[in-house]
Amino acid sequence: MSITRRNAAQWLAALPGACAAQQLIGEAPGRITPVAELVNSYEAEAMAGRVLHPERFAEIAAGSRAPFDRITFRPRLMANSLDLDLSVELFGVKLFAPIIAGPVADLSRFHAGGEAEWLKGAEAAKTHALLAAGGGTFPVACYSGDWAGFDKVRAASKAPVLMKGILRAEDAKAAVERGASGIVVSNYRSGVAELPGVAATISVLPAIADAVGGRIPILIDGGFARGTDVLKALALGARAVLVVRPLLWGLAAYGAPGVQQVLELMQSELARAMVMSGKPNVAAIGRDTVRLHKR
Amino acid sequence: MLQYRYELNRRRALHALAAFAAGSPLRAFQQDPFRDHSRIPALTEMRTALDFEAVAFVRLPRPVFDYTAYGSDSEFTLRRNRQAFDWVELTPHAQPVRTPDTAAQLLGTKLNYPILLSPTAGHLQLHPDGEPATYAGATAAAATPMIVSNVSSVPFEKIAGASRGPIWFQLYPRNDSESNHETLERVQGAGAQAVVVTVDQQASFFERILHSRHLNPGAPGGVRRRTSSRGAPRNPYRVPEDRLFYEWKLFDEWRKIVKVPLIVKGVLTPEDAKICLEHGIDAVYVSNHGARSLDYAPSSLEVLPDIVDAVGGRVPVIFDSGIRRGADILKALALGASAVGLGRIARWGLAAYGAEGVQRALEIMQAELKLAMMAAGCASLKAVNRSLVRTDFP
Ligand SMILES: Cc1cc2nc3c(=O)[nH]c(=O)nc-3n(C[C@H](O)[C@H](O)[C@H](O)COP(=O)(O)O)c2cc1C
Repeated sequence: MSITRRNAAQWLAALPGACAAQQLIGEAPGRITPVAELVNSYEAEAMAGRVLHPERFAEIAAGSRAPFDRITFRPRLMANSLDLDLSVELFGVKLFAPIIAGPVADLSRFHAGGEAEWLKGAEAAKTHALLAAGGGTFPVACYSGDWAGFDKVRAASKAPVLMKGILRAEDAKAAVERGASGIVVSNYRSGVAELPGVAATISVLPAIADAVGGRIPILIDGGFARGTDVLKALALGARAVLVVRPLLWGLAAYGAPGVQQVLELMQSELARAMVMSGKPNVAAIGRDTVRLHKR
Repeated sequence: MLQYRYELNRRRALHALAAFAAGSPLRAFQQDPFRDHSRIPALTEMRTALDFEAVAFVRLPRPVFDYTAYGSDSEFTLRRNRQAFDWVELTPHAQPVRTPDTAAQLLGTKLNYPILLSPTAGHLQLHPDGEPATYAGATAAAATPMIVSNVSSVPFEKIAGASRGPIWFQLYPRNDSESNHETLERVQGAGAQAVVVTVDQQASFFERILHSRHLNPGAPGGVRRRTSSRGAPRNPYRVPEDRLFYEWKLFDEWRKIVKVPLIVKGVLTPEDAKICLEHGIDAVYVSNHGARSLDYAPSSLEVLPDIVDAVGGRVPVIFDSGIRRGADILKALALGASAVGLGRIARWGLAAYGAEGVQRALEIMQAELKLAMMAAGCASLKAVNRSLVRTDFP
């Protein structure tokens, strides 16, 4: 094969495809899309990739979609949704939607405005936020660590205490027995998050929900980036979902407006998915809303 | 660290080169399927129905092409619709047949092949001849029934006058019973031989409209979300309200107005199929709207067998979403469909070559079905049953 100029040009043009340099359809490289134009949270991820140092970005890159891809819906027809309602009640708080901004340490790593921008964006999207250091706009304490530590925190805390980091049914039961107000199914814990082959939270949720049997509310985090992901968690027994990474993408690229946009996108996606699966409110969602697949 | 960031090394140079190339107009070369011979093939060169898609691609403005090609949200279901056919294998009889009989009877319409044209919106954007050409092409292809969409770019009466083959109508119900009444009376008066009511796709969103943001920036419609025709919705989640009022009892009202067979399109669960029967529906149309409704809905094919079982032969089951080859049709029939619908195939055919393209694309599908039946050893559609396939749905 002889190399013609045209050949070489084509090869060059194919390079970026091979490098996956252009993640957004039709966006010029380097351009930061106006925040209102983002159509899903993954676009915010691509934008974060453009503003963050690669190493910083690697810490918050998207997780695998495979666990969500093994769950499909069983959409039911003709459910009047004019009074569509996503709200849920949790520890005496009425949530606008079953989505909570999850805890992250040191938000200033991603945006100079850090925590202030995070809270501002969440509030603009009518979303409560749990902060790592405590405080935040959701009145619960989230504990992650050993049981002795949990007992101490619970004894000392006036607010409801959630046991975070549950991945097994027996631990969920133990949390109920030790008086946890709720649990957070999560694999984001030091040592575990980096563990190769650790189970996806959405995959272990059904067994945990069975073990808890509705005695305390279950929250979950881990890779939730689309409204349909949230609907799946609700169907499998979670009361609400903690979202972190997609909001960090929004925060890094845009500050508060990015956090707000990503939250609103996920709320809209959830709302549309609920409508089209025939579930006009959260109470109507159940196990039979989804179908689990082996592969 | 800092040093690494600012030093020019081989890796960074390659990165920069890649970024340069990404911004270069040469990238468009990659997207042209005909770059090596810059010639649009003739109609007679089309070998499979898939070939029409590439021709449509070069003929259409990119946003128009995308509109036909895309699915909703992440397009999980769009991919799954095709994947699903790989989960079904044919197990042919030892004895091939020479002249399979493909004729069928469906709701009083005589079919030469168990194939319909699924209803799809606005054909004028695909070809200046619009729906009348689609209809003429369908009729020319062994009188394939065309289901005219409620949102066609040419009025039903005008399309109906363009040819003589079987023609059905598809309704998107409105929250206004007088308007529904008027539409249903009008199309039945103009010769609609069946009415399909589409009740899925209440609130879909297409992320790929992104394309229009760089191809024609500032174009109306750009990346704006679809909003309700009746102003701001009552819900605070920005979900358009037009299609949120659906309720089963409305079918009892429509049942009275529709004198021809009445079909529900968008069924994906056995439970809903049974409810259809309770409301006197004449056929259940299993479809996920070509993956343009709920993202992460199952492929239509994987839910077909259970729905067929629930219906238990009381009414016919029509199937669409994802069919591209004759063997795909045979698989759907083997799993219990009485007939299948083709959506995008007709659109690619129309966009590529007008009425003749529709005709040819359909004839290819018909010929492929016939070949598949010959190879599988099915003398007629009656011989096509579940024993003809092995399924391995995940
Ligand atoms: C561009 C496009 C427009 C469509 N418009 C309609 C419509 O107006 N009414 C309707 O009931 N279905 C509509 N559909 C869905 C089709 O009727 C059909 O369910 C689907 O295209 C079948 O999948 P296939 O394209 O893979 O064959 C549309 C599909 C496409 C691709």
